[in-house]
Amino acid sequence: MSDATSARARVGGRSDDDQRDLELIARWKAGDERAATEIVERHAQALARFAVSSGERSEVDELVQDTFVRAFHSLDGFRGESSFRTWLFTIERRLLLDRRRAEKRRRDRTEIQEDDAATAYDALDSVVADETQQRLRAAMERLSPTQREVFSLRVGEGLSYKEIAEAVGTTEGAARVHYHNAMRAVKEFLDE
Amino acid sequence: MNDCPNAEMRDLLPDLLHERLDAPIRAAVAAHVGTCEDCRAELALLGGVQRMLTKQTPRVDVAYVVGALPLASKQRASKQPAARVARRRWADWRVAAAVAVLAVGGTSAALMERSNAIVIPGDTVQVPQSNPTPEPVQATPAIVASQPAPAADRLAASRSDTRTPVRTADTEQVATTANDGIGVGRSIGDLNQKQLRALLDDIDNMQAVPITEPEPVSLKVDATRSSSVPEGM
Repeated sequence: MSDATSARARVGGRSDDDQRDLELIARWKAGDERAATEIVERHAQALARFAVSSGERSEVDELVQDTFVRAFHSLDGFRGESSFRTWLFTIERRLLLDRRRAEKRRRDRTEIQEDDAATAYDALDSVVADETQQRLRAAMERLSPTQREVFSLRVGEGLSYKEIAEAVGTTEGAARVHYHNAMRAVKEFLDE
Repeated sequence: MNDCPNAEMRDLLPDLLHERLDAPIRAAVAAHVGTCEDCRAELALLGGVQRMLTKQTPRVDVAYVVGALPLASKQRASKQPAARVARRRWADWRVAAAVAVLAVGGTSAALMERSNAIVIPGDTVQVPQSNPTPEPVQATPAIVASQPAPAADRLAASRSDTRTPVRTADTEQVATTANDGIGVGRSIGDLNQKQLRALLDDIDNMQAVPITEPEPVSLKVDATRSSSVPEGM
């Protein structure tokens, strides 16, 4: 335990999941359509959580669907060097960035007022009835986009820093720094 | 909310939350959390964030997602030959149509060429395309001059496969001269000395009468000039 690296190397529990994903992919490639259903069932909700925590407010199903469609079209290129879920997060994140760019262009054209965005947030907040969860949500919304992505992947999905770095496109060390900065910011917000 | 001074332990709290730790490490981290109030508070915070993220996320319609996925590779592979067969059938039809067009067109072209190349025995009319030899010499220069080439072409074009000799007034004239020793369709180079002399004699004795009556013309008579030129010339 004195060596953090060795401690992280002994972090396990995901290898069985990875192995199961590889088996399902092989079955699907062999023509088993039910394997595709099981793959979606295993990862769809995690992808949806990541989308929502990253600020995606609407059309989450469409985003998850697009992620899987793109992934299944590119399955021949998946070599299993990272976990399948991490690979899915990478694809979803790219789609999210594309959406944000398109949304920004659209907003630049239509110049949506701040009141409209606030109305959408208020409607979603009403779903989250618990006051503590509303505060947690508000704390996460104060994070930078990268901090929010890293924090949600680490806390919400339990990814390692190495997996987060692959999904977000950064280094393992940078992912760790983003996580601890995010944690500090959340604590400070809750202490206010 | 304070941070635990044991950064390594704090770093493993999310893994403890998601049960990603091997048993020995998990036991050690759990023991630390049991004695560290800051880590217990942080672990509770992490649990709250996880629940919040789960709660705020709508349930994904798995069937909706699966419905948009591509077919499995094996099924795609099994369907590709069918597509190729369909394309091959379509290509076969196109090839058959092209062959039919070529056959009809070729037959038509062959028939046209064949009808143009018919040689009628005893006829002095030559088809330019099928006869590379020089124009046959007609018996009488006046008669030759009265047979324009287009007329010969029209004559040849109007012939059918019956190969029936077509005789016109012009050909009757040629036939008349042929009786004096010049074979029909023969060139002047084929004549011997005797035949050539007979031909020249006939030409000398022939009256230069046109085969049709000339159009009446009016002539201006100019006393000062020795010749006259018809109007319009």
